[in-house]
Amino acid sequence: MSQFQHSVLPKTGLDERAREGFVITLKHFLASEISPGNKVVYEKSVAPALETAGADITRHSIRKEMLRQPYYRMWSALQRTSQEMQWDAVTTCVERQLDDLVKASKNSTARGSLTLDPQLPLPKYHAAVDIHCQPGGYHTETRADDVAAGAMYDRAVYIYAMGRMGDCNEDMGASAVAYIHKQFPDFKPRRILDMGCAVGHSTIPYAQAFPEAEVHAIDVGAPMLRYAHARAQSLGATVHFSQQNAEATNFPDGHFDLIVSHILLHETSAKAIKNIMKEIDRLLSPGGVMCHAEVPQYEGMSAFDAFMLDWDTYNNNEPFWGPMHDMDLVKLAQGAGFAEKSVFQAVVPSAIETAAAKKGRTDVLQGGDFAGSGVWFVYGARKRLSA
Amino acid sequence: MSRKAKGARPVYFENPENDKLLAMLMAVVGEVSVLRERLDTFERIAASKNLVLREEVERFEPDEKAAEQREQWRREYIDRVLRIVRQDLESQAAGETQGTYRQALELVNG
Repeated sequence: MSQFQHSVLPKTGLDERAREGFVITLKHFLASEISPGNKVVYEKSVAPALETAGADITRHSIRKEMLRQPYYRMWSALQRTSQEMQWDAVTTCVERQLDDLVKASKNSTARGSLTLDPQLPLPKYHAAVDIHCQPGGYHTETRADDVAAGAMYDRAVYIYAMGRMGDCNEDMGASAVAYIHKQFPDFKPRRILDMGCAVGHSTIPYAQAFPEAEVHAIDVGAPMLRYAHARAQSLGATVHFSQQNAEATNFPDGHFDLIVSHILLHETSAKAIKNIMKEIDRLLSPGGVMCHAEVPQYEGMSAFDAFMLDWDTYNNNEPFWGPMHDMDLVKLAQGAGFAEKSVFQAVVPSAIETAAAKKGRTDVLQGGDFAGSGVWFVYGARKRLSA
Repeated sequence: MSRKAKGARPVYFENPENDKLLAMLMAVVGEVSVLRERLDTFERIAASKNLVLREEVERFEPDEKAAEQREQWRREYIDRVLRIVRQDLESQAAGETQGTYRQALELVNG
């Protein structure tokens, strides 16, 4: 199991590989051996205490009590520390070879395109905290033509998912593509837009699945896009990358037949998510489809499972994670003009079927175990055929 | 490049110094693992060739079996370091408290 070494993936020395390998094993150990103990503590101490007190059992009341439990505190502190160790390992590795990475990213210009907009304001929800604890977030640049944030992210996603998202971190895109094929068998989008594409790891499966389509991808982070463009070229994919905010893009009305996103929605805000839906409604052609891949919503989950999945909201700089997973998504789509009956929500299987990915899964939805459950959540709607 | 993500770090323990000690401990734990792999690399190359070349060591990629052995070693190693966390649960399951230990003291001294 190792990440595919495309032309801009940071190269690793012996100690760097060992450091990253250690973080992967530590994360897996925490998910498979330590995290299950939280349920034991909950059932033995916390649930009876809440019952005795006559309290409502919600993920919030559970959280309040679990925060008093030494076992939970220790797991939580270790989980946070593993996340910091992951970023420390990749930052050190990227920093030492940044000159080479910048050079390599400039060498590739043959396919697709890259359009940056230095004037684009950084949304508040990205400036407030560095999402999922990546130092500098998606946007920070420390030199001209910087690609560091992209290089760090590409490597860290692989470590964070413990390799279970495939050699090119393609799982979310590939899983959503499989769902779209199944749900809309004759659908042949002419133009596709991936919103909040980061390094384009989820974009590329669309370029491969719909070779006739023109594929666009947007993000607010310039270092992500420079890296994504070079990465796509190295992987032989033609994608047009541009620096834009998904809330208000410069594409014409009805320009796209398919608009997708992957773990974008929970990294926005209550206001922004509505703007994004309205913008998608504007950009979709009649009969066009939107499809967003996420981790399942809390609705229908046990309060304890929702509490465990909610860890990132308070501990991993993901302030909109919890609120987004509580939202009424049908209402959200309706609010932007989509018909209620066209809205779909489904839990879909991971497209990655390798023995290594299967072996590494815990089959549980819980904080700190991204891609461990072997399922994703897709949400979307189809635009009316006529206005 | 900054090593700190913007946003205040949560405090997990009653005494915030413990948060820092845990982070320091885990950094050391990680570096021991890194060291161990370097040594392992030397040993494996030396065994196969009776010769250790620095460049070769730097390029070394374990085959599937060696990678599995390393993964196994790391799991055992982390398990050893985190023994105390798992012990908590085992102690709870056994119904142990400071009180039950006091009872044992009284029992043997009574």
